[in-house]
Formats: sequence, C-alpha cells, structure tokens
Amino acid sequence: MSKISAPRSNREFIEACVKAGDAVRIKQEVDWENEAGAIVRRACELGAAAPFMEKIKDYPGFSYFGAPLSTYRRMAISLGMDPASSLPEIGKEYLKRTNSEPIAPVLVDRKDAPCKENILMGADVDLCKLPVPLVHDGDGGRYVGTWHAVVTKHPVRGDVNWGMYRQMMFDGRTMSGAVFPFSDLGKQLSEYYLPRGLSCPFATAIGLSPLAAMAACAPSPIPEPELVGMLSGEPARLVKCETNDLEVPADAEIIIEGEICPDYKVEEGPFGEYTGYRTSPRDFRVTFRVNCITYRNNATMTISNMGVPQDEGQLLRSFSLGLELEKLLRSQGIPVTGVYMHPRSTHHMMIVGVKPAYTGIAQQIAQLAFGSKLGPWFHMVMVVDDQTDIYNWDEVYHAFCTRCHPENGIHIYRNTTGTPLYPFATPHERKYSIGSKVLFDCLWPVDWDKTNDVPTLVSFKNVYPKDIQERVLANWESYGYPQVK
Amino acid sequence: MNQWEVFVMDMSELAEGKDLEISIRTLNPGKQKYTYKHVRAQVSSTLDKFPDQLQVRMGRGQLSQAKFSIKVIEEIRRLPPQYS
Ligand SMILES: Cc1cc2nc3c(=O)[nH]c(=O)nc-3n(C[C@H](O)[C@H](O)[C@H](O)COP(=O)(O)O)c2cc1C
Repeated sequence: MSKISAPRSNREFIEACVKAGDAVRIKQEVDWENEAGAIVRRACELGAAAPFMEKIKDYPGFSYFGAPLSTYRRMAISLGMDPASSLPEIGKEYLKRTNSEPIAPVLVDRKDAPCKENILMGADVDLCKLPVPLVHDGDGGRYVGTWHAVVTKHPVRGDVNWGMYRQMMFDGRTMSGAVFPFSDLGKQLSEYYLPRGLSCPFATAIGLSPLAAMAACAPSPIPEPELVGMLSGEPARLVKCETNDLEVPADAEIIIEGEICPDYKVEEGPFGEYTGYRTSPRDFRVTFRVNCITYRNNATMTISNMGVPQDEGQLLRSFSLGLELEKLLRSQGIPVTGVYMHPRSTHHMMIVGVKPAYTGIAQQIAQLAFGSKLGPWFHMVMVVDDQTDIYNWDEVYHAFCTRCHPENGIHIYRNTTGTPLYPFATPHERKYSIGSKVLFDCLWPVDWDKTNDVPTLVSFKNVYPKDIQERVLANWESYGYPQVK
Repeated sequence: MNQWEVFVMDMSELAEGKDLEISIRTLNPGKQKYTYKHVRAQVSSTLDKFPDQLQVRMGRGQLSQAKFSIKVIEEIRRLPPQYS
C-alpha cells in the first residue's frame, strides 16, 4: 500500500483544511450560547468551510472547530486524499483501507500525550470549566459530546468500544446520553453492568483526529483503535486514563473520565437530530458521572450540529453505513454494483444496484440489511438494476417511478427494531423503539421475457448504434451546441 | 432573583398550590447557565408570589408563553452516595 499521509490530530486536520480553503479562522469573539451553534449550522446548510472559532466568550484559551466532516472535500482531506476526489473514489479508498490488515494501536507514555497537559481531579472537576456549547436554542442542555468518542471496555472479553453517543451536561459533574440498546455500549451495559449493579468506567475523548472520529461513528465490526490504524495507515497513539484502566487517543484535545451509573438516571434531550428535527422525547437516559478531566493547552472543542442536511450525521453516516452494508452484501455473494445512501435521505434510504441474477434478490438484500446490526438506522431499501447509476438520483428516481410495481414491488416489514428518532413514527412507536420498514423493488421480474416483456429504455446511450452515438458526440459543438462539461 | 427553566410535556405537570419535584435549569448568566438541579418547589402563575422566575419549554424545546414564579424549597439529592 502506498504511504498514507492523513492528518494525525484535530490540529493537523484544521491546518490542512485551512490550507485547502475548507476551514475559516474566526478571530472575533463568539458566544458559546447559540452563536457558535448557529455558525456551524449555517456552514452545514451552505456546504461552506468549517468554522474554526478561536475566541469564545467566558472561555479564554479555548476554541471550537465545527462541522468537521460535513463535506466530501473535508472527508477526502481527512483520508489524506485530494480534496477534489469524487464520492465513488473516496468510497473505494475507504473500502480498500478497511479491508486491509488491522493495525494495532501503540501505548505511549503520559509525558508524550498532549491530552495530559492539564488535569482536573477531585473538587476541581467541573464541566462548566469547558466551553460546552448550547448548540441549538431550545435544546435540553449544553452538549459536551457532539463529535467525540465514548470509550469503554468489556470487563470479561476485553473488547474495546469507541462510540459516538451524544452527551448532555446535566450539571458540573454529570452528563446524560442517548445510548441505544442495540448499540455496542447499550449491549455492554444491558449484558454485563446493569444486571450486576456495577458502574461502567468510561472516557469521553473530544477533539479527535478526523479518522478516529470517523471510526467512532462507523458501524464496523472492527474494534475502533484498529480501524483508525487501518484508515490512517499507522498505529493509533493511545495513553492510559488517570482514574481507570481505559486507553484514550493521546492527541485528543479533551478527555473526560468517569463511570456510567447503573442506579442513577437524569433527563436528557430534546436535541436537534440527524433527521433534521427534534424528535426523540426528553427522557431519563444513561447517566455518566465525571471523576476527572484532562485537556491540552489551548484545547479545541469539536462541534457537530445536527439538523437539516447536511452535516456529519447525514453525510458521514450515509457514507459509512452504505459502505458497510455493501461489504455485508458482498460477503454473502450478492452481485451488487454498489450501495449508496443519499445524505438528503438522512441515511434512511439504502439504494442498491444489483445484477438481477435470480428471483427474490431484492427481498434477500432487504432482509439481510434490515436484519443486520445496522438495520435500526434506516427503513427504506430501494433496489435497482446494474444498469442504473446508484449515485445519480435522477436515474434512480426514474427507475423507482417506472419499474416499482405498486402491488408486487413494495414489501412492508412490520414490528422491526426502531429508534425514538424517527420523525414519522407514532408517539407510541417512538417510546418503545418500534420500527417498520419498506422495500421498493425496482427490478424487472426475472420471469418476464427479456425480448418481449421487458420495456426498452429509450435513452441516447441505450437505443442508438455506437457509431451514431460517437458521430453525434464528435459533432456536438459543430451542430451549434456549447461544450458539455 | 434567580431565573429558572423547566421542560414539561403538559402544563398540568406544573400544578399550583402543592410541592412539586422537578428538574430545573438555571438561566442566570455565567458559566453555570443551563445546568440542572433536582428540587422540591412550588410554582405560581402570579408572578410576584414567589421570589424566583420560571420559564417553561415543552417536550421538543418550544418556548411556552406561560410564565410562573417559583420558590425552591430544597434541592433533592438523588445521587447515590458512592458517586459523591
Ligand atoms: C454526530 C453523530 C452523533 C451521533 N449520536 C448518536 C447517539 O447519540 N446515540 C447513538 O446510539 N448513536 C449516535 N450516532 C451513531 C453512532 O455513532 C454509530 O451508530 C456508531 O457506530 C456507534 O454505534 P455502535 O456502538 O453500534 O458501533 C451518532 C453519529 C454521529 C455522526
């Protein structure tokens, strides 16, 4: 593999983004209460450069970096690729790297870990000392974790998990978060800690390298520290925590250590979510008690602002969910041309291109996808044939509106696993995480006669002889048309 | 005078004339703004009845027009002692 030169820390990433014109340095003071959030939101909605806010009201010495991976350009930069790389190119690179050999992390000494430059313990521990932003007006609280990793370890199996689960500041020593029961951390809690009444050590790492953050929200079965190594082509640098035996990224900006309480819950939410709404009800959720905070000098807090497309919640998650689902389908030998989730679908629709090799292939795809660990995150599967460009919504939409039979092509799956975040779900379904799903099968039935029953697609590419196509393309400008880019 | 805010799903959660157990967050300016306390309190729609003010948000963050005064009787520590 050729040497990868991806940014190894949030600081290197900001530098690379500024250099490419994909981040702006904001020198004037910004308020942590709504203003910073509003800047990030507007940048997301415009697809603009990421704001690096260097001066925060009440918090001298701290800065914010918002919308870190809300464009494909910044995603390419995070992978050490040309910022102009196309989405299929970025996807190909992600698949190549995540199918390579795992690269184990290395443990570094505390003195080589910038995240240990400042340490708050005991009575000094207070989350209000960090510039925790009020991301959206009307949120249930200031959110500490919007672009971060919650690090935990299974006490018996030793599996390490980094997950991006939002965390709200309840008070100076308490956070509450949305940890869904089907997530790795949710399972760890319900399987081990809660039945035993034991508290679960955790560490929240904020201001990660972009690939560490990408790993934390990637739905991959590979343990995240190894996944970061594979994505960046070198071992992740980890360091031991101060108050528990977890290991955290040494170059992170801020580390919050503590324990998840099995017997104490406080309210969390509401919060702006990836669907573009505040949907999930305020509730008593997983509660994190903070015992120690460590941070770099001039620490930068990272902010993802979830709302209408497009932010990391749609762009990055659509990207990694789609590609992990593609791996799943390929592992089952299904002849897919690719899987794409359009960010505007807020990763609710999985578009699959497949060679219609046998009857029921679309249902097989839907059942595998919906039945997988990733199933709760989307509720629509649309299957098109291998001639349709899955990245071209015009083509996909045309296929959907012309080939999906209203009776035979739409399949509904009831009583599946849902989340409280689905805006269309009834209040009862949200409360109990009850889902339902739909498959849109846009393939011509295999038992139709290919010559007489299957309609012919009437397009320039499909109906004209090759020599005519070439002649028309060669003469296009001499006919009087402007050049087609 | 302190300013507080509470989230409710229904206004009936703010019954007047009796002790309520609620989580309220401070709106006083400063670094503690938006941190919560779990308290026993009484509320009144008569704005000068109690010393502090209470603003209300509904389940999805919508600010209610209703305003209350509030008396915080005591902070309730629900946190089990092992985490203190
Ligand atoms: C900005 C952002 C915020 C997220 N917040 C949450 C969250 O609050 N709860 C959750 O379960 N997943 C959340 N996710 C998705 C998880 O990070 C994702 O499912 C990840 O793979 C961890 O899940 P796992 O434990 O199942 O591997 C978020 C993703 C992003 C990009």
